[in-house]
Amino acid sequence: MNPPGPLGVLEEKEEEHLSTPILGPSINSDNPQERIQARRLRIAARLEARRREALGEYLDGKKESEEDQSKSNKQKEESRLKLNKLLLCGTELVTNIQVATDVRELRRRVEEEEIRRQRLEKLENEVKTSQDKFDEITAKWEEGKQKRIPQDLWEMLNTQQVHCAGLIEDKNKLISELQQELKTKDDQYVKELKKQSDDICLLLERMEEQVKHVMKTFRQELNYIEKAFEVERQEMLASNKKKWERALQAHNAKELEYLMNRIKKIEDYEKQLNKQRVWDWEEYNMIKIKLEQDVQVLEQQLQQMKATYQLNQEKLEYNFQVLKKRDEESTVIKSQQKRKINRLHDALNNLRAKYNKQIKHFQEENQSLTSDYKRFVTQFKELQRAMRHFALVDDKQFREIWLMNEEEAKDLISRAFAVDRIIHTHHLGLPWTAPDFWFLRNVGPISQQPRKSAAQILEEVLMQADEEGTEEAASEAESYLDLPKQISPRTTRKILMLLCDESGFLIESKLLSLLLPLEKNECYLLRLDAIFSEQTSLMSGQEPGEQIDLEEQEEESLVEGEPEEKEAPPSRRLIHPNDVLKILEAFVMGLKKPKDSQAPVKMKYVRDNLKDSEYWEALTTVIPDATQNLWDALYTALEKYHLVLTQRAKLLLENRSLEQQNTELQMLLQQYLDSKINSELQVPPTQVLRVPTQ
Amino acid sequence: MQETLATSTLLSVPSRSSISMQDKFSTAGQTSSAGPQPSRPSIIPPHNKSKGWNSGTKVHRMRRIIAEDPEWSLSTVPLLTELCIQHIVKNFHNNPILKQLLPEHQQKVLNHLSPALPLAVTANLIDDENYWRRCCEQRWPVCHVARHGGSWKRLFFERHLENLIKQFIPSTTDPAVILDLLPLCGNYVRGLRVDQFLPPVRLPPQPRSGELSDSGSEVEMEEPATDHYQLCDLVAGLSHLEELDLVYGVKDCGMNFEWNLFLFTYRDCHSLAATIKACHTLKIFRLTRSKVDDDKARILIRSLLDHPALEELDLSHNLIGDRGARAAAKLLSHSHLRVLNLANNQVRAPGAQSLAHALAHNTSLISLNLRLNCIEDEGGQALAHALQTNRCLTTLHLGGNELSEPTATLLSQVLAVNTTLTSINLSCNHIGLDGGKQLLEGMLENKTLLEFDLRLSDVAQESEYLIGQALCANREAARQRTLNPGHFMSPIIAKGPENLAG
Repeated sequence: MNPPGPLGVLEEKEEEHLSTPILGPSINSDNPQERIQARRLRIAARLEARRREALGEYLDGKKESEEDQSKSNKQKEESRLKLNKLLLCGTELVTNIQVATDVRELRRRVEEEEIRRQRLEKLENEVKTSQDKFDEITAKWEEGKQKRIPQDLWEMLNTQQVHCAGLIEDKNKLISELQQELKTKDDQYVKELKKQSDDICLLLERMEEQVKHVMKTFRQELNYIEKAFEVERQEMLASNKKKWERALQAHNAKELEYLMNRIKKIEDYEKQLNKQRVWDWEEYNMIKIKLEQDVQVLEQQLQQMKATYQLNQEKLEYNFQVLKKRDEESTVIKSQQKRKINRLHDALNNLRAKYNKQIKHFQEENQSLTSDYKRFVTQFKELQRAMRHFALVDDKQFREIWLMNEEEAKDLISRAFAVDRIIHTHHLGLPWTAPDFWFLRNVGPISQQPRKSAAQILEEVLMQADEEGTEEAASEAESYLDLPKQISPRTTRKILMLLCDESGFLIESKLLSLLLPLEKNECYLLRLDAIFSEQTSLMSGQEPGEQIDLEEQEEESLVEGEPEEKEAPPSRRLIHPNDVLKILEAFVMGLKKPKDSQAPVKMKYVRDNLKDSEYWEALTTVIPDATQNLWDALYTALEKYHLVLTQRAKLLLENRSLEQQNTELQMLLQQYLDSKINSELQVPPTQVLRVPTQ
Repeated sequence: MQETLATSTLLSVPSRSSISMQDKFSTAGQTSSAGPQPSRPSIIPPHNKSKGWNSGTKVHRMRRIIAEDPEWSLSTVPLLTELCIQHIVKNFHNNPILKQLLPEHQQKVLNHLSPALPLAVTANLIDDENYWRRCCEQRWPVCHVARHGGSWKRLFFERHLENLIKQFIPSTTDPAVILDLLPLCGNYVRGLRVDQFLPPVRLPPQPRSGELSDSGSEVEMEEPATDHYQLCDLVAGLSHLEELDLVYGVKDCGMNFEWNLFLFTYRDCHSLAATIKACHTLKIFRLTRSKVDDDKARILIRSLLDHPALEELDLSHNLIGDRGARAAAKLLSHSHLRVLNLANNQVRAPGAQSLAHALAHNTSLISLNLRLNCIEDEGGQALAHALQTNRCLTTLHLGGNELSEPTATLLSQVLAVNTTLTSINLSCNHIGLDGGKQLLEGMLENKTLLEFDLRLSDVAQESEYLIGQALCANREAARQRTLNPGHFMSPIIAKGPENLAG
């Protein structure tokens, strides 16, 4: 049944598997790899065997019994085919009746339809013709009514009658025809019925016959198959019997041979046994003598041993006594030790309790200390806050006081200057120029400007450049950057951009991806920021020398980039190579400065007082020494002048008083002169005196 | 005991057993037979010492009667259990005791029960197949137990019920006759095959019966009066009903034939429709030879739409036309119908086309029978087109349908493509020689078809023979497939004879 193809393949496979274990690796090999390989092969072989057990056995059987089993198989196959055919034919035979009936029915239907159609047509025609005739007759009735002559009327009536009779006859004919048809149909129906019953009878007959036939053939085939099997079985039995007999004979022969061998061997062994027995007897005697001697020697030794035993016993007894004593001692010592252990245990417990107490104590202490610490920390923070506050307040106060003092000083200075001017212009008649000092313009305490971060600076720079920075802005930027004057912010910007492009390796790739969507300026800015932060971090980690190296590298890279540009005619884009170094150096230094003094809070506390004193010193020496000398000389001269003037004033006062006295005296004189007494007097004083004319 | 046995005579054996028998009898409250009684006192003394019945010994000794009856043997004495069983059997009608008995006793009781016992007693009590087998064989000479799921009890109840329905005459028979049986047979009836519904008997028609033959119109006038038995109540009571096979007609009417005996009225139709709609367990519904026309078919099929269980619908030998076929097509797409039989109806091309349309996308229908219709080439072609997409249908019967070559051409294409069809019947058509050749071509490419009937369809014998060859090859292949789905079946079969021989 199966094609021979797979069989051959399987056989090949089988051979393969038979050969592999011999050639292949063995399980007992020293090499572990080989052993694993061998086990795998063994498993595969087992699987194969199992598979073959299911599938292959059949094939094997088939192969083996190509000659013996084929008979039964062939018989089976033949019977099956025959029976199948029989069944099919029988079924066909039986169903043929149904099919034939179907066909008949179909034909009948077709015919019936045709006949019905014809009949309908005929009836319609009949209706039409009869209607025509009827119309004719009715028309004639009308005609008849008009007839006046009785003969004509009679004639017409006759003809009418004839017509009517014809019509009725036609109808009757039709009816009879139809009835005839009905009758034939009835007959046909009866025939049909008969036919059907015949058919059914035939069907039954055939079925019965079929059943009988099938049963018969089935039985026959079964017999055949059984016979085939029987024959096969007989053959097999015979062959097996033969095989068995052959095997039995072989076995008998072998058995006989074995028996003979055995008898021979038994004789041999008996001989050997006798020999052995004699030899053994002799040996036994010798050993007996030797052993008796040995017994004597041993008895002597036993006596000796007994003696030593006695001795040892005594010794041991003594030792026993000693040990007993020692045991007692040791019990005493043991009890002592026990007591000691108890004591120590107590001590240990005490110590443990103490230890626990200590731990508790220390924990508490620790807790209190930590709380203290926390409190201190908060206090410290508060203190710091207060300090900051005070620092701020101090700063403010300081600033206020400073401002006050400064104002005062300024006031004084301005006064001094005013005086100086007056002196110069009025007294000395010299032209006066107001001295110009930096500190005069200063207002408030001297302090550093708050540093800006590199990024801020850059931002400003870039923004300035963008806006075509005005001079002011430029100057401002320069003030931050301490850049050399000759470098314009534009150049700076270009350099920075260049730097940014060249040293992109310092920027992290992550940042770059983040930068993409940003504006160009911002992008540059951030990149620069990143670069500088990187640089500074590098620099802080590196030696100064390295830092310089790095800078140099940068410069080099920049300079290297330059020459190509140099060849082009000098344009606005060109950056002078000399400037590059300066700018960068200045830039980096400028950036480094703020980094040195990073904390702005601290800076406030450590603001240098040196400048203050200097400032205040400067304020005091606002008037130069020469002027002071001049002032001193002027002062002495003026004092002298003042003295002269005061003397003169005194003199003038004296003069005035004297004049007053004079006038008083004159008046008194006048009085006296005018008095009556004079008249009464013989000699009037007037005569004596010359009256001063006024 | 052994000693006493040895010492005493052979008679002691029956005597001892008789004593035990007697004890049993007294406990059972029955009178024992007189036979063993006299033997009792005579034999007991030897046992007395060992058993210690000292009280009665003297009395027994005094009248020692040795009744040595050589013919007596234990086998003549019926066992108490047997007597009890006999009694139970005798009084089973009044006092049915079965479940309380031991299994072997139950078996005995069942073997002796009379098949004539009233159903009210036996129906729900006895499950034994043998009893019901006796009942069946007593009532009916021929019993196809295989047609009733191999259960004799089911067979008995189904046939009993069928008989009742067949004999039921509306408005004369008491409906309780059937409905009283419901609680008894409700659990066992799974199928009903009723091939006769008697019309109501009209008492007045007797004089009129002569007139009836010539006045056909009157019959139609009185149609409502010819309603048959309404199945509603019955079917509602049968909770396991799966199969319903009905023929609205009268059997053995002989010379009393009247057309109105074979009327399937509209009221019948409506009530039947409601009945099958309410019966959710129904799997097979057959209504054949009942003059079901388009309208009635539509009413029935409408009630079957989306039926949860229906698998087979058989409306063969009716008068269904295209409209009914269209309704059936709709049913195809609204149910899980597996078998549809419209044989010997009046379906023409349009009906077949609608069926084909439904078939093209159907995934449940396995068998379609359109034998003895008149679908002609148009319908045949439509069906062939549908089969090109259908992947479910296995059996198709188109015998006697006026098909010819164009359908054969299309079908040969289908044969080359389709792998599900196993049986096609094209007998009694006008396929013609060319059509036969084309079918042969298609057949040569097909590997699944097992049956192909082309009898009486004008096909050349040569092509029919060749098709037969191809079918044989396919059948052989199919047999191989069923024999060894894997490769493991064949060796077992092949080993069989080997084992026998060894």
